[in-house]
Amino acid sequence: MFQSIDLNQGIRLHIRSTDQFKTINFAFKFKQELSNQSASERAVLSNVLLHSNEQFPSNPAFRSHLDELYGTIMYLDSSKKGSSHYVTLLAESVNDQYLSSNGVLDQVMDLLQTVLFRPNVEQGSFKESIVNREKDSVIQRIESLYDDKTRYAQQRLVELMRPNHPASIGANGTIEDVKAITSESLFAAYNKMLNEDELDIYIVGDVNVEEMIAKIKQAFAFAARNVKKQDSHQDVEHPSVEKNEVNEFQDMKQGKLHIGYVTPVTFTHPDFPKMQITNGIFGGYPHAKLFLNVREKESMAYYVSSSFSSSYGLVFVFAGIDASKQEKAVRLIDEQLAAMQKGEISQNELEQTVAMLKNQLKEALDSARGQIEIFDQYKDLDEAFSIEAWYEKWSSVTKDDIQEMAKSIEKQLVYFLSGKEELSQ
Amino acid sequence: MKELHFKQLDEKLFHEKLDNGLEVYILPKKGFSKTFVTFTTKYGSIDRTFVPHGETAEVTVPDGIAHFLEHKMFEKEDGDVFQKFSVYGASANAFTSFTRTAYLFSATDNLYENTETLINFVQEPYFTKETVEKEKGIIGQEITMYDDQPDWRLYFGTIENMYKEHPVKIDIAGTIESIDQITAEHLYTCYETFYHPSNMLMFVVGAVNPEEMMNYIRENQQKKEFHEPTPIKRSFQEEPLEVAKSENKLYMDVQKPKVYLGLKAKETSLQGEKMLKHELAIQLSLELIFGRSSDFYVQAYESGWIDESYVFDFTLEKGFGFAIIGSDTSMPNELVEAVKKELKKVEEKWPFGQADLDRVRKKKIGYFLRALNSVEFIANQFTRYAFNDMNLFEAVPVLEQMSVADLQESFTSIQGEKQQTVFSILPKKDQATS
Repeated sequence: MFQSIDLNQGIRLHIRSTDQFKTINFAFKFKQELSNQSASERAVLSNVLLHSNEQFPSNPAFRSHLDELYGTIMYLDSSKKGSSHYVTLLAESVNDQYLSSNGVLDQVMDLLQTVLFRPNVEQGSFKESIVNREKDSVIQRIESLYDDKTRYAQQRLVELMRPNHPASIGANGTIEDVKAITSESLFAAYNKMLNEDELDIYIVGDVNVEEMIAKIKQAFAFAARNVKKQDSHQDVEHPSVEKNEVNEFQDMKQGKLHIGYVTPVTFTHPDFPKMQITNGIFGGYPHAKLFLNVREKESMAYYVSSSFSSSYGLVFVFAGIDASKQEKAVRLIDEQLAAMQKGEISQNELEQTVAMLKNQLKEALDSARGQIEIFDQYKDLDEAFSIEAWYEKWSSVTKDDIQEMAKSIEKQLVYFLSGKEELSQ
Repeated sequence: MKELHFKQLDEKLFHEKLDNGLEVYILPKKGFSKTFVTFTTKYGSIDRTFVPHGETAEVTVPDGIAHFLEHKMFEKEDGDVFQKFSVYGASANAFTSFTRTAYLFSATDNLYENTETLINFVQEPYFTKETVEKEKGIIGQEITMYDDQPDWRLYFGTIENMYKEHPVKIDIAGTIESIDQITAEHLYTCYETFYHPSNMLMFVVGAVNPEEMMNYIRENQQKKEFHEPTPIKRSFQEEPLEVAKSENKLYMDVQKPKVYLGLKAKETSLQGEKMLKHELAIQLSLELIFGRSSDFYVQAYESGWIDESYVFDFTLEKGFGFAIIGSDTSMPNELVEAVKKELKKVEEKWPFGQADLDRVRKKKIGYFLRALNSVEFIANQFTRYAFNDMNLFEAVPVLEQMSVADLQESFTSIQGEKQQTVFSILPKKDQATS
C-alpha cells in the first residue's frame, strides 16, 4: 500500500501514489511517551505552532496565506494511543492539476517546513502572549468536556477504573499541568519533539514518488534519534478497582449508563480478531444483541452499544436511558453477555459481523486519512498489513471461539450519571 | 440516460428521470472500493400542514412526524431492515432534516443486493399500532438525549427566537408530548403524500457501473405500481421579516456561557442558479467579515471573547434562511456587541475589494474540490442542491464569475437590526446571583 523508506534512525517516510483523490495529504506523526505533563505541553505546543511562525508572525497573515493556497488545510492535532502521545501535523491541499495556478504543492511543502522549523520566536523562546492565549484555549477545551455528558461519563468511568494510567490520561493533559507551562518549558518540549520523538511522515496523492522523496530529504533534515524497540506482545495487567458501582449526579435529564469490562485480549494478542467479532456481536452494530434486545425489544434506549478498547484490554458499554431504569438496563445488558458466554450465538450473527468488519476496513481505505491511520496502526504488528490477511483471520473464527472470548470478558465497574438525587425522587 | 461531463472537475455524472418520476443520478469514482447510495424524499420537519394525497382538505400533523416516519420505515413484518443490510456487509442509516428525509447505505460488496434492500424497504411501508407505540420509548430517549446537549439547545433556541410562524422553529424530532399523538394512520397519510417516486431522488456514487446500475434501478421500478404523480400542496403561514424575540436565554449545567447571534434572511424565495449565486455570495461575505483571517476574528480571539468553539454559518432553504455567529464565551455581552458593531460597520460602508474576494473565493474553490473526495458529501449535497433546482457541480464556475458587487448586494438579505436576535445558554450556577 505504502512505500516505506528509512530517512534516518527513527524517521520513516511512507508514500502512496494514487489518482483516487483530488488532493494531496501530508501527515507528520511525532510519537512520545504519554504522561499528563507531556500531553499538556504538546497540546499547547500544537496550538502555538499553528498560531504563527517566522514567515507569518501574525495569525491572520498565516491564515490568509492558507486561503490563497486554495484553502489548504493545515493543523496540528494532539492525540493518544496506548501509552503514547502523538502530535500530528496535517496538511491537505488541492492537486495542482485542478487549479488554474501552478506551484501550490511546492508552497504547501515550504509552509510545512516553516511551521516545524521556523516558529515565531523571541529571545530564544516562544512569545509569552501567544503561549498564554493558547494555554487558555487548551484549558477551555479540557473544561468543555463537562458540557458533553456522554464524554464526561466515559471519562469518569475510565478514571475510576484506571486512575493515573494511560487509559485515563487525556490527549490534552490536565488544567493543572497546562497552567504550569512557561514559554521556556514549552520551547524545551518543542525541541524534544523535533529531536527525540519517533517520527512517521505520510504522503498520499497523485505524486511522483522519487521527486517527493528527494524533496522531503532536502527540506526536512531530521537528526537521527534513539527509538525504543517495539516489544511484540506483552500481557496486559488488570488492577482491581475499589468499587464496582458508582452513581454520580448532575443537573441533566437522561441517565448515562457506562459499564467497564476487562479482557486479557489486546491489539497485539493473537486472539485480537476473535475479540473484534465478539464485541461486534455484543454491541458493535445495529444487528448486535444490545441493539436488538435493549433498544428494539424493550425500547429502553435510543443508543446502546459496546466498544473494544484494544490498547488497554477494556470493553465498554454505553447507553442513554431513563434515570429510573438503571437496574433493569444493567440486568438486560448482563443477560446479553451471559447469553454469549453460554454459547448462544447464531451463525447469522457471526456472518453478519464478519461482513460488517470487512466492509468497515475496506471503506476506511477510501479516504487518504483512513489509509494513513490504518497503515500507521497495523505497521506495529509483526506481519505486513493486507486486507486479505484480515479477511482470512475473521473468516476462520467459530462460534466456540466467540464463546471463549465472551467468557474472558469480566465486568469491573458500573458507572451511572443522572439527574440530581432530589429531582429523581 | 444522459451523460454530463464536468471537465474541470474530471467527473462524469449520469442522469435519468424514470417513468414514475424518480430522478436517478450516478457518479462513478475511480479508485474507490465503496459505493454510497442515498434515496431521499423532499419531505422534512417543516412539512406539517398539507393536503394529503387523494383528499381536498388541508391537515396539520403532529410535530416530529417526518422523523418518526423515518424511524418506522426500518421495521417490517419480518423484522428489522438493519439485519438485511448486515448480512450483505453494508452500513445503513437515515436522517431527517428541515426539508429532507434520506435513507442510505455504503458497501464495498453486494452492491445490487443492498440497492434492492434500500429501494424496497423505503417503498414498502408497514406501520401498526403496536410498532408505533413501541417506537415512542426509543424516540423519547432520543429527544431527552438532545435536551441535555447545550449546543443543540443553543441552535434551536436561536431559530425559535427568529421565527414566529414558520415550522423551522420546531425541533425536528418534536417533543415527548407531540410524538405521543402520532398514530399509524398519520404515518400512512404522510407516506402516501410525500414518498411518491416523483418527490424523490436517488444518488449512487463510488464504485459503480453506471449503465448496469441504471438498468437495475429502472427494472426494479418498472415492476412496481404507483399512482399518477400529483403536485403536493404544502402550506405555510406568512412569516414577518422581524424576529419573533430579539433576546432569550436558558440556564443549563454548563461551565461557561454560550451565545449565538442569529440573522434572519429577507430573501428566501430564490431557486436555481440565482439561489446558488446568492447563497455563495453570503457565505463569502461572512468569511470576509467573520472568518479566521478577518480583523474581527483577531480582535475577538486575542481579547478572549471567543474560543475554539467559535462558529459562523449560513443556512438557506425555500421559505427560511438565517446566519448564525457565536461561541462559548466568558464575555457574552462583549462578543454580542462586537458582532453587532462589525455588522453595522459593513452596512455603513462595504469594506471589501477585489483582492479580498479573490482570496476567499480561492479558499471556497479549494473547499469544493476537497469535498469532492467524499462520496457522502457528494450524494447528500447534490440532493440538497437538486431539491432547490441547483447543481452542485456548477458551484465552482459560479464562484469564478462572482463580483464584489454581488457579495454586497446579497449580504443585504441579512442586514437590519430588526432581523437580529441573541440567544444564550448560561451556567445554572450563575442563575441565583443574576
